[in-house]
Amino acid sequence: MEILQAENISKSFGEVHAVKNVDFIISKGKIYGLLGPNGAGKTTTIRMIMNIIVPDSGKITLFGQTMNDRLKSRIGYLPEERGIYPKMKLRDFLRFLGELHDMPSAIIDSKVSYWLKRFDLTDAEFFKVQELSKGNQQKVQLIGSFLHDPELVILDEPFSGLDPVNVNLVKEIILEFKKQDKAIILSTHMMDAAEKICDHVYMIDKGVKVLDGELDEIQQRYGHNAVQLEYKGNGDVVKDLPFVEKINDFGNYIEVQLKDGHSVNELLKAIVDRVEIFRVESRKSTLNEIFINLVTGGSNDA
Amino acid sequence: MRKIWSIIKREYKEAVFKKSFIIITLLMPVLMIALSVLPTLLMMIETKKQTTIHVMDQTEWLFEDFSNSLKDTLKNGIPKFVVSKVSFSENDFESVLAEEKSLIEQEKLAVLLVVPEDIDSVGVVQFYARNVGDFDLTSRIKDTFSKLVSNHRLRESGIQPELINKLIKPVKLKTIKVIKGRKEKEGGFLQEYFSTFIFIFIIYLTIILYATAIMRSIIQEKTSRIVETILSGANSFQFMAGKILGQGAVGFTQYIIWVVFGITLLFAGGSFLPVSSRYFSFNPIIFFYFVVFFILGYFLFSTIYAAIGAITNSEQEAQSLVTPVVLLLVIPLMLIGFIVKNPDSTVTTVFSLIPFFSPIVMFARINLANPPILEVLLSIVLLIITIIGLIWLVAKIFRVGILMYGKRPTLPELVKWIKYH
Ligand SMILES: Nc1ncnc2c1ncn2[C@@H]1O[C@H](COP(=O)(O)OP(=O)(O)OP(=O)(O)O)[C@@H](O)[C@H]1O
Ligand SMILES: [Mg+2]
Repeated sequence: MEILQAENISKSFGEVHAVKNVDFIISKGKIYGLLGPNGAGKTTTIRMIMNIIVPDSGKITLFGQTMNDRLKSRIGYLPEERGIYPKMKLRDFLRFLGELHDMPSAIIDSKVSYWLKRFDLTDAEFFKVQELSKGNQQKVQLIGSFLHDPELVILDEPFSGLDPVNVNLVKEIILEFKKQDKAIILSTHMMDAAEKICDHVYMIDKGVKVLDGELDEIQQRYGHNAVQLEYKGNGDVVKDLPFVEKINDFGNYIEVQLKDGHSVNELLKAIVDRVEIFRVESRKSTLNEIFINLVTGGSNDA
Repeated sequence: MRKIWSIIKREYKEAVFKKSFIIITLLMPVLMIALSVLPTLLMMIETKKQTTIHVMDQTEWLFEDFSNSLKDTLKNGIPKFVVSKVSFSENDFESVLAEEKSLIEQEKLAVLLVVPEDIDSVGVVQFYARNVGDFDLTSRIKDTFSKLVSNHRLRESGIQPELINKLIKPVKLKTIKVIKGRKEKEGGFLQEYFSTFIFIFIIYLTIILYATAIMRSIIQEKTSRIVETILSGANSFQFMAGKILGQGAVGFTQYIIWVVFGITLLFAGGSFLPVSSRYFSFNPIIFFYFVVFFILGYFLFSTIYAAIGAITNSEQEAQSLVTPVVLLLVIPLMLIGFIVKNPDSTVTTVFSLIPFFSPIVMFARINLANPPILEVLLSIVLLIITIIGLIWLVAKIFRVGILMYGKRPTLPELVKWIKYH
């Protein structure tokens, strides 16, 4: 079910067109990846959703209403710019964030305890926030955005500064949220993480949406038909085959991109008598490759 | 409302436990004591000292009367002046004079007076001392000589000095202030000036103190990027309102501590405080207006300061914007002499109605004269309207400015922000 709809939103800062006519839909029980290079307009888009920045034009509808400040407490937002009150005790800080999100006082404490435990910070609850390490401060902020059990979770770069164990923990929590039928928007540069958990991808570049679709479908659509090949012999045989689009030579191995409609079997048949094959690997292209292709490749969009 | 309340609570707790708050809160009473006790203390130290005076009297008739006229005593009852006559002959006058001067140099003698023989016609007495700037002392001695010498002149001309003194006795003015609805009180320009100045100076100082605190904490929270975290739950208006009210509550707490302390001090040590009790009388009506105008002035200026905090990135940058605002507060302060003399003039009346000046000027008028209640109400209403308008305006600037990093907006940009829906 749709809970968020952005129609044609645009925002400029002076001469800079940060976001241009972007639209998207966010539904319950799904994880959305908001991807794009630095300065693409991801954070600006998110701030417009949060009603922190007002769009120059376009419309944002949330939970069936035009976006307004009363809806904020139904969103869990982790801003890109981390900010804490350094002198506050951890528990007081979280209590404060809970109150700001309209949590009933009665349940704040138990929720805070639950999340502190989950992030292994129970021992630090009476520390001042500034006494925590940077990664731990990051965890505190994450707790702040989970605390009030929001229906929509928006995380801007949630993994930065976290160790691999905590990255996994956050991924786990995000997947739990999905099971609880929450909607999650994830803006990240960690493509492998996005690839593992996202259902749907929005990619923007220079303020314009360049990609919009279910992850599987995108990988099919943009995935090139590629084979990694390790062999001994004259490599030119491969290059000259009629159904080979192009090859990349990586030294130890080459990557062969086949033209549409041709299979790995065909390739093998053609070369099996001429070179000695050590290793063959057929693979889908990664989100990372799609990303790099789209961003550096210029205008080969859909 | 609940969000504003949460922000107020947080601001309050943090500010009240800050070292600077505790220090200022404690320091002020110390300052109050010092200010009120110091004059007494100084006077006591001052008066402990006896002044030795040597007189080289060439008239033969003056010394007796002179030393009899200087019978002042110190607080502890001992004579203030120790006057003695230096004897000399015509031949050794110069050497005695040199000797006496060296006594002064050695700090064994405070004052040497040389009275010429023909004092009646010359009318000049030489006063030798290391310190000739003690106005009390020099005028006391000059007055004594004047009186004695003119009496002597009168007597020489065959006139009874007593009669003349009776005939030319000067008239003194005893000033009594009459204001409708208040007890008559004796006073003069100095007293009016003093009590009015103290009150408005407190208003001025605390407004600047608290408004600056707001600006500073906004800039700091901008720098530490906490703002966006708060905006994830509250909106910018709630943030601003929470800050202004929270800081206001902190200021109020401080005030209450000081007032309680001040009143205790007045009651406990009335005798200690010659200055403050002479110039300062506690009047509940005045106090009420004091609170009203302080609160209104506080809201007016803290809103402006909040806006400055929102559009700048550092305190240095803010400073140039703060200066003109402080000027708005300083102008009435500079006018205070004029206001005290002309509390009901047209100029004063106009100033007391202009919102940015009225907290100080109208309050000064209330303290000095009884301005028509209608004018007082008008100035309060105008203030409130201005505050509301300003909050509305600043909330818009705040909303855009609070997430702006980098360069400060120009005036046209500010106007654009305000037009922003
Ligand atoms: N407050 C602002 N004032 C002026 N320009 C801004 C402001 N915020 C963003 N921009 C500009 O808008 C563009 C988009 O910025 P945005 O922060 O949305 O990018 P992003 O996709 O989040 O990048 P990153 O991956 O680096 O976080 C950038 O060119 C940026 O310089
Ligand atoms: Mg960003």
